Amino acid sequence: MSQVTANMPESASSAPSEQATAELNRTWASPAGFFGWFTHVNHRKIGFRFIMTSLVFFVLAGVLALLMRLQLITPENSLMGPELFNQLFTMHGTTMMFFFAVPIMEGLGIYLVPLMIGTRDMCFPRLNAFGYYVYLIAGIVLYLSLFLGMAPAAGWFAYVPLANDMFSPGKGMDIWTTMITFIELSALTAAVELIVTIFKQRAPGMSLDRMPLFVWAILVMSFMIVFAMPTVMVGSILLMLDRTLMTQFFVVASGGEPLLWQHLFWFFGHPEVYIIFVPALGVLSAIITTFTHKRLFGYTAMVLSLVAIGFVSFGLWVHHMFTTGLPHLGLSFFTGASAMIAIPSGVQIFCWIASLWGARIRFATPMLFVLGFFAVFVIGGLTGVMVASIPFDMQVHDTYFVVAHFHYVLIGGAVLPLFGGIYYWYPKATGRLMSERLGRWSFALIFIGLNATFFPMHQLGLEGMPRRVYTYLETMGWGNLNLFISLSAFVLALGFGLTFLNMWMSRSRGTPAGPNPWDADSLEWATDSPPANYNFRHIPVVRSGTPLWDDAIANERQFVSGLRNDRREVLVTTLVDAEPQAVVILPQPTIWPVLLAVAVSIGFIGTIFSPWGFWLGFFLSFWMIVGWLWPRRPWQEN
Amino acid sequence: MRERFVIDVGDFSRFNPGPQAPVWWGILGLVVIEATVIMAFIATYFYLRLMAPAWPPEGVEPPPLLLPSISVVLLLGSSMTMQWGSKCIENEQYNRFVVAMFTSVGLACTVLMLRWQQFQELGVPWDEHVYGSIVWTIMGFHFVHLISAAAGTLVVGILGIKRYFNPQQKIGVVVDTLYWNFVSLVWIPLYLVVYWVPRWL
Ligand code: HEM
Ligand SMILES: [Cu+2]
Repeated sequence: MSQVTANMPESASSAPSEQATAELNRTWASPAGFFGWFTHVNHRKIGFRFIMTSLVFFVLAGVLALLMRLQLITPENSLMGPELFNQLFTMHGTTMMFFFAVPIMEGLGIYLVPLMIGTRDMCFPRLNAFGYYVYLIAGIVLYLSLFLGMAPAAGWFAYVPLANDMFSPGKGMDIWTTMITFIELSALTAAVELIVTIFKQRAPGMSLDRMPLFVWAILVMSFMIVFAMPTVMVGSILLMLDRTLMTQFFVVASGGEPLLWQHLFWFFGHPEVYIIFVPALGVLSAIITTFTHKRLFGYTAMVLSLVAIGFVSFGLWVHHMFTTGLPHLGLSFFTGASAMIAIPSGVQIFCWIASLWGARIRFATPMLFVLGFFAVFVIGGLTGVMVASIPFDMQVHDTYFVVAHFHYVLIGGAVLPLFGGIYYWYPKATGRLMSERLGRWSFALIFIGLNATFFPMHQLGLEGMPRRVYTYLETMGWGNLNLFISLSAFVLALGFGLTFLNMWMSRSRGTPAGPNPWDADSLEWATDSPPANYNFRHIPVVRSGTPLWDDAIANERQFVSGLRNDRREVLVTTLVDAEPQAVVILPQPTIWPVLLAVAVSIGFIGTIFSPWGFWLGFFLSFWMIVGWLWPRRPWQEN
Repeated sequence: MRERFVIDVGDFSRFNPGPQAPVWWGILGLVVIEATVIMAFIATYFYLRLMAPAWPPEGVEPPPLLLPSISVVLLLGSSMTMQWGSKCIENEQYNRFVVAMFTSVGLACTVLMLRWQQFQELGVPWDEHVYGSIVWTIMGFHFVHLISAAAGTLVVGILGIKRYFNPQQKIGVVVDTLYWNFVSLVWIPLYLVVYWVPRWL
């Protein structure tokens, strides 16, 4: 590093006066008050909102799932009719995939990445805020449609021709297509932002090979979003055009192709599963490193397998279409590719096992969730290998076997690590630890409830019970298993509920955490809990892959000086080696992101009713963007 | 624990006119996303064509070539005027810069007017057959992007009149040019797909 001058006289502990620190804190403060709330741009504010909002959607979708289970608790139940049941599973699936799983992973990234790489904010703070409002508005509109009784009802993958206006009249599907386009917009802004922040704002010395695995995982996730989300946007735009402007993309009579929808959807839909899963892998790596107190075994292999998972997952989409009558050779190729993804996943698992082997493991709650992940994910992976083989898939396609499989993968692969992550990082965000006792109870109930709910579904599927049915005949003999499943679902819900209760109560009652309660290795633990507005009093200089542990051994911490306190300055470093390269000034809190989000919403929602809505939104948005980017005086300042 | 300052960034310039500025990477990200969207449209076009018994459908002629070919030339020209604009900023020739921006916008507006005529000449409505649907969609998509690029550059031109830009402070021009080049160059593959594929293949 050229700029490093070995013996600069200034010493960090004596230099900053209280006054300077207070000024820095004011510079990075977010305005208080109701109106102030809409101007926040700080990554921790926005990341926190992403996380909390997606947890709200998790609860909403969970309630819908419980309602479905109530309907299925006995044969020929008359709690609800087929129309409502269709709306419920559509809303449950859509919410869980688009409004919970992806945003919460982005939220974790937005909150944690700048802390982990040692910077004060993300590179485009206002875009961050914009992405959040877009997400929030999309979710609210979707749920309004449910409460108004006109929710979409064509399943979370909205197959045409069912989703065409001939078979799904009414505004439900229009709301689905526009809100899906909308939420993808939010995901894409977050992804670009995360990529650029990770590439350009790492603390000096944090070369790519010293980057925490969690940050790698978020990077891979973001790239996958960039290449996967556009196809579903295109798909839903085409469907929107079919429904509003009478284009004929999916209308067979005019040369349209229903399978086109499936290709566009699953080209996104399969990577989607890994978009959720990859950051969860990052969470697991962070927790395992900390609770075994040693660097993960096989760092390079882990990074390569994360990247490999990212690539291979784009070659798998057709395995969702095995029953559509595609050519045989093609199908065999995709079976092979589906099996191939087992290799990088296997590498991950073996590296973790090697890390856990012989280590002195602390069994705190986050670690319990990690172990739970292992157990559940192995089962989900096994049934995945089963359904990847075509003859077997022909049998169980669209049965409860598949429902069991993907809940094992999604809950085991994403929700358990995520909850582990909540226990792990909660003290950083709030300054207090969550209760271990409640945590253990919560974990136990979730683990039991999850297996009791979803394991019997394999059996139901093999017995032939189709998915997406609102009821079944008594003579089928599925009654007992369904009763058991429905009761277990409530145990599972109770388990999740205990963690939420724990989060609520520990805010004021938890044990104070201090900066580094778990004795972890990465930079987010080098600063206060919760961090001050500026994240780091001085930008740290990184000399290894586990900086906190190695600083302690060397008994020395190194910093960057020269960033001003009176405006929002962050350091830009080079992409590979993270050598200091430039300083940029970030914007202040501002109202424009909300205004733009509202303008874009007017465009999207207006389009449902009239093509003029599009142009209205377009020109409103243009003015908002001009207002947003218009330079503020004084113009010249270095 | 000992604490030391080992790097000082106090005298780094705060003006970052090129790839060291995160916003440059951000616009690159936008371009990559848009390019992926366009790939999806093109893939859709070929998929529909593959599945169709006749492409274009019976009784429809491929659209005439004259206007879109002129557009190619005009758009390439506009990329050059944008390039010239950047040079002018470099050399502190601010009046010429404004001229360059407005010329580019003028070229884009000409292309937009030609495009309006092209829509009439496509010879198919969008709501009768998928062929019409996909052709209209691709053309419309590019149409909207041209409007955005022209509007953005108009604002850059106005800021130029107000003498906002100079050799240090020009990242706005740099990223606007980056986006402009994308919008104008992407017309070439779209042109080949919409106008030549039905003739060649
Ligand atoms: C909280 C516990 C959960 C319960 C009790 C539950 C229950 C259910 C039920 C009953 C169905 C409908 C099955 C059918 O009739 O075909 C369903 C479908 C689905 N679930 Fe869950 N689920 C839970 C969590 C999740 C999570 C965490 C995710 C994803 C991250 C998820 C994603 C889905 C999807 C994508 C569908 C398919 C929807 C469709 O058919 O269009 N679920 N779930
Ligand atoms: Cu898949």
